[in-house]
Amino acid sequence: MTIQYKSLDWKLIGAAVALSLIGIFIIYAAGYYEQSAYRQTFYERQMLWFLLAIAIFAIIIHIPFRFFDFGAYPLYGLALVLLLLVLAMGDTRLGATRWFSIGGVSFAPADVGKLALICTLARFFSYTRLPVTSKRRLALSFALTAVPVALILKQPDLGTSLVFWAILILMWLWSGLSPMILALLLSPVVSLITASHWLAWAIYIVVLLVVLFAYKPGLTFGVVIVIANLAFGSFLPFIWNRLADYQKMRILVFLDPGMDPRGAGYQIIQSKIAIGSGGVLGKGFLEGSQSKLDFLPERHTDFIFSVLGEEFGLWGSLVVVGIFAFLFYRCIRIAVRCRSPFTSNIVIGAMAVILFQFLVNVGMTLGMMPVTGLPLPFLSYGGTSLVMFWILIGLIISAEYRWQEY
Amino acid sequence: MDQHRLSLEDRRNLLLGVAGIAVLIVFIGLVKLQIFQHSTLKEQSENNQLRIEPIVPKRGVVYDREMRVIVDNRPSYTLSVVPAEERKSITISNLADLLRIDSAEVRSRIRRNMTSVYQPATIVRDVELNHLAVLEEQSLRFPGVTYQMEKVRRYTYSLGSEAFTGYVGEVSEEEMKRASGRVDYRLGSMIGKKGIEKFYDSLLRGQEGTQYIEVTATGQAIGPYSARPPLQPVQGTDLVTSIDIDLQRACVAVLDSFCCGAIVAIDPRSGEILALTSYPNWDANMFSSVVPESSWNRIIADSSHPLLNRPLNGLYPPGSTVKFIAVGAALDLGLVTENTLLKPCGGGYQFGNRFFRCWEEMGHGALTAVHSLERSCDTYLYQVGVKLDVDELCRYYKACGFGALTAVDLPNESPGLIPSSEYFDNRYGKNKWTKALVLNLAIGQGEVLTTPIQLAQFFCGLGNNGVVFQPHMVTATVGPDGARTNIAPTVAFTLPFKPRTLELLKEGVRLVVEGDGGTARRLRNKLYSIGGKTGTAQNPHGDNHSWFVGMAPLEAPEIVVCAIVENAGHGSDVAAPVVGEVIKAYMEKKLGIKNQQLTAVNAGTPQ
Repeated sequence: MTIQYKSLDWKLIGAAVALSLIGIFIIYAAGYYEQSAYRQTFYERQMLWFLLAIAIFAIIIHIPFRFFDFGAYPLYGLALVLLLLVLAMGDTRLGATRWFSIGGVSFAPADVGKLALICTLARFFSYTRLPVTSKRRLALSFALTAVPVALILKQPDLGTSLVFWAILILMWLWSGLSPMILALLLSPVVSLITASHWLAWAIYIVVLLVVLFAYKPGLTFGVVIVIANLAFGSFLPFIWNRLADYQKMRILVFLDPGMDPRGAGYQIIQSKIAIGSGGVLGKGFLEGSQSKLDFLPERHTDFIFSVLGEEFGLWGSLVVVGIFAFLFYRCIRIAVRCRSPFTSNIVIGAMAVILFQFLVNVGMTLGMMPVTGLPLPFLSYGGTSLVMFWILIGLIISAEYRWQEY
Repeated sequence: MDQHRLSLEDRRNLLLGVAGIAVLIVFIGLVKLQIFQHSTLKEQSENNQLRIEPIVPKRGVVYDREMRVIVDNRPSYTLSVVPAEERKSITISNLADLLRIDSAEVRSRIRRNMTSVYQPATIVRDVELNHLAVLEEQSLRFPGVTYQMEKVRRYTYSLGSEAFTGYVGEVSEEEMKRASGRVDYRLGSMIGKKGIEKFYDSLLRGQEGTQYIEVTATGQAIGPYSARPPLQPVQGTDLVTSIDIDLQRACVAVLDSFCCGAIVAIDPRSGEILALTSYPNWDANMFSSVVPESSWNRIIADSSHPLLNRPLNGLYPPGSTVKFIAVGAALDLGLVTENTLLKPCGGGYQFGNRFFRCWEEMGHGALTAVHSLERSCDTYLYQVGVKLDVDELCRYYKACGFGALTAVDLPNESPGLIPSSEYFDNRYGKNKWTKALVLNLAIGQGEVLTTPIQLAQFFCGLGNNGVVFQPHMVTATVGPDGARTNIAPTVAFTLPFKPRTLELLKEGVRLVVEGDGGTARRLRNKLYSIGGKTGTAQNPHGDNHSWFVGMAPLEAPEIVVCAIVENAGHGSDVAAPVVGEVIKAYMEKKLGIKNQQLTAVNAGTPQ
């Protein structure tokens, strides 16, 4: 089918292209002083991936939206199969089984899972006749998310599993769930965190009971929430023991990076030094000593933002943050404009992935979030990640183009 | 519950709010780091990439009086670890394997010598060259390990010079505390521990420079950091000493056949020390690298105490060498005249209920003052002692430089001991001691302790008409710019004797060798005149110590040689020939006489 290229949202496409090109530029800088020729040419490979991503994007925008609607559940099933398969026969790196290797190219089924969950939840929320806050509706959408999350936690990959929750929560909000109900639903997590100190937990439980009493969300709901809170609070040690050592370390080091300055805290400390030493104007292109002298770890991928912050300073960082902000604003505008609930849900789901990974990745480089290993959308080196984000952009652009469809 | 459903506008605002908060969090984080914490983090980033390394200046060279090298420097490689760049479980274990030491030991050395995690901490000095080759070849196995070429001290071999050169070692915490504010020692800095190295440390060491090296996270040095130019060091000042290496060698050679002893040779005209030897000696080069524990234990356990610096710290009763003081005091005070014959010596002197023996059991007969010195008659001196007030005698001792530091330019000198009536009162109780103590004091026994350098200094006065120059060793300094500054000799004091008394004492010095009854007649020779005085110091712990202090040429003495040989017996038998050899070496060099001729002349001399 043919589409009118003029009618596409070129501003949004431009924002994504700009982020991808900035990414290639920074990957070039990050690899410039590398010793191995292989690492020096990461930017060339990223350029090829970018071309591929654009091609896939072009295909996506030609696909009628019905396809995603009908295909949502089969895609979800496929994703679950892939996630099971990767556990059985995937590559194990650094103690995690997350990838398939096909002809030298790694691909993570979790990325398929994200797409599948976006389509599935969009379909579920747009066709169900259950009221927004009905327990069944909440429970079913929760279950749809929890199944892939369970498989991903098995890999284990805590960071990616959180992306799935982000999709669910933003879609809940978009489908009209009151923030107060959402807060109550999320309250067991707070219980989990405060349970590390008995006094904090006691105060929290009292506050929770007061809120429940004042807000009156319904007796059963309230009881379930309280029981969930008590259960999570008392299960903290149990859950803590279930975490892998590196996960415990990441959380501990996040709370106190100075605890292990040569080990897990090293990355955070060096990233903060890199960004902070960049100041307002930055040290200049290829002049970042932290990156040049190898103090910044993982600077092509997870810590690409640190290279940007060091060499281009506050202004450079704000340009990138600004492009992201523009992108989010544009997505929300599109979602509001779309007539079909399914289409607008897809837009919000896609934005949820970009927004969450943006926040968690940049927050990590700034030392405000734990090290999760989530790449920065569009900028971090990595072909499958780039392709996945361009598929999301494709969905959003396609939704905008077809906003009148119902 | 559907009343909770929100309007489209509310939902849009809600999502805008969520996205807005996310962007705001990032914005706040960026502003915090890049504006508010910028200066701290910028400094950390600089510290990250910089390794601050000292540029150690060349330590000053020590020359003898003819500009021959006594102490200079040789290259040595010091192996260090930069703690921040060390990789757990690789660096230390591989290094321990290479050096064949315990990895716990490596770790403790890092801890001990660490100033900052970014500064190299010394592990081994003077590392073997084949170890260096391994480090160079397999550098990946040793992340964080660096080595620097540094200069270590080289003491000219077999000079026995450690008695005055001392040695250098790593600065101790106590020394750092003491020097704080004046000299910036850092952990691992070398500092003079003894001798000239210590006394002139501030001149010899120069001033350390600093260089800034850019390094990668893996510790690889990139090169000098261009934004901060290095601070150049100031090279150490060279020292010219008054030591004569030839004479020093002669002293070592002549002492070599004995267990323990010391020789000090001073030019009485200036106080310049020509030779200074302590025996047994040890090799100061040992301290230039790592002292093997076995050698150290051997030195510590040695009953002959090699580390005791005998010329400055060996405390001995002076014996008869100081009889000049009691005799001079008696003459000065008019207690005897130059012609007075005291009671004849019959082998001793009865004082109260105690008989004080003269060393000559046969007796000396009646003697005048100068002949009492010639023959070293104890009986004469006992009678002088009876006439002398104890404090008067001690005042003379002190006026002759005993019981006080000579202020030689060497550290840790001992003052020795000269008593007083007060001292005896304290020690024995008031009125609980008798004049018998003074009798002993008169012959240089009992409660009097002197060092060889004090005795040499005293004889310098005798040989230089009573004028005593402060003994000193460094005569000139040569700065890094080559500018030479001479250090003028200074007069320390003059002997307390009247001119006529001094003449008589000098006559005594002459007669000891030249007189028919002189105790050191064997030193007499036809080429040059020698004077001196023998001494036999009673030693409660064993055989007597043998003393001799000689000077030559007698008409205008240029050299005073003081020798003590421990537990060797009479001064005339042992120490006198020792001094004779040293003076011979000096005069031979001065007169340009060939060794054989001199020996031939000596052989013909009646003993």
